[in-house]
Amino acid sequence: MSHVKHQSVKLHRTLYMQQAVKDAATTFADFASFTIKRDGDYYAVDVKDIDPDVDGDVVAEFCNFALANTAGRKKTKKA
Amino acid sequence: MGHPHIEKLDPKTHTMTLSLDIGLYPADVLYAAAYVFLDRAYVLLDRAGPRYEVHLRGKGELTEAQLTAMSGEFENELLAQALRRKVVKANQKIIEDITSQAIAGAAGGTLPTDFLAAGDDGMDFLDDPLGIAVPWEDKFKKKKDA
Repeated sequence: MSHVKHQSVKLHRTLYMQQAVKDAATTFADFASFTIKRDGDYYAVDVKDIDPDVDGDVVAEFCNFALANTAGRKKTKKA
Repeated sequence: MGHPHIEKLDPKTHTMTLSLDIGLYPADVLYAAAYVFLDRAYVLLDRAGPRYEVHLRGKGELTEAQLTAMSGEFENELLAQALRRKVVKANQKIIEDITSQAIAGAAGGTLPTDFLAAGDDGMDFLDDPLGIAVPWEDKFKKKKDA
């Protein structure tokens, strides 16, 4: 089984909050290193040094966390 | 096309992309629906012009039929969340009133001791200035005698 050591993902800035993405990166900091940059309408997230021992898709889980954090923050902001 | 539709479906990678009209579904409805699916799918939201794109990838293996069913469930969830939002908005005032009443009640209501603290008017409990304690027969008798 091969392990991808470097991946990147783009999250649309109107749909993902910056702080929510940062929080998700902090959550997964033990399993990979994250670099978040602005790239036009997107946050470009570079994911490096993904722990090969992790059972699961770190990047996909990171995206789920970023989405959950954004949904939570938007809800709190509204209330 | 107004309603959501499957943009892409690939059973090999257990992925599917749904496309939704931005005008029909507010962002918070999209978030709420997506949130429900986080435990069984990897969800990535995107925008393509006037449409939202929802990329879903099953956490387990999914057949084409299962992926199609999941897209239907997502659309149902969107409608459920949209209705929920509408109901909450319509009943916002009632919800706020009930909540404030509950908080006021929990903060402490009127206690019997509060009446004791009120000013003493110098009256005994047997005093009956309004004649409330006078039996009906006595009142009637008086009238008849007069």
